[in-house]
Amino acid sequence: PPPGRGARLPLARVKALVKADPDVSLASQEAVFVLARATELFVETIAKDAYVYAQQGKRKTLQRKDLDNAIEAIDEFAFLE
Amino acid sequence: MAERPEDLNLPNAVITRIVKEALPDGVNISKEARSAISRAASVFVLYATSCANNFAVKGKRKTLNASDVLSAMEEMEFQRFVAPLKESLEVYRREQKGKKEARKDKDKKTDSEEQDKSREDENDDDDERMEEEEQNDEEELDN
Repeated sequence: PPPGRGARLPLARVKALVKADPDVSLASQEAVFVLARATELFVETIAKDAYVYAQQGKRKTLQRKDLDNAIEAIDEFAFLE
Repeated sequence: MAERPEDLNLPNAVITRIVKEALPDGVNISKEARSAISRAASVFVLYATSCANNFAVKGKRKTLNASDVLSAMEEMEFQRFVAPLKESLEVYRREQKGKKEARKDKDKKTDSEEQDKSREDENDDDDERMEEEEQNDEEELDN
């Protein structure tokens, strides 16, 4: 999908997560939009990184352990541990 | 509102679609893997929000803006997201501007009756912003 596309994740749900942070007073609509797009990119990234492990296991179904392996192996995913 | 932030899930169908489009044809995803990705996505939003908020605070601003989020991406080592996000933001801004101008054009062609209606439309924009503020006022009280 072209990078300029709009967000598929509903902005209202992203906004609900933003508001869950007690330190955040206000967020602009643009900020919520960029967060939503960033989250989509994150989902794409983690799915692809996890898929590498499924391929190693000669599987065509992504499984939970593939996610766990990717999270453990990749520095950028350390915040998920 | 006793739910934990991580329980604020993003819609399963959307997560699944994004995953399937990212992976080769014929690849499936187990329910557990999808749940794990969904939870990871929620945690990502929470963490990115917190990071972005630090930049807003540093800038002595009360409102988190788009550039705070972009700064957060760099801080979180997702620099490669920044360029595509900037492009998406440009498109979003043009779309929002287009919507506003469509309403303004409607204003120009009107008589006084429709001017009342378009004043309502303009208030919709303010209402969107104010809605955030009102909700946040409530939250500040709770906190």
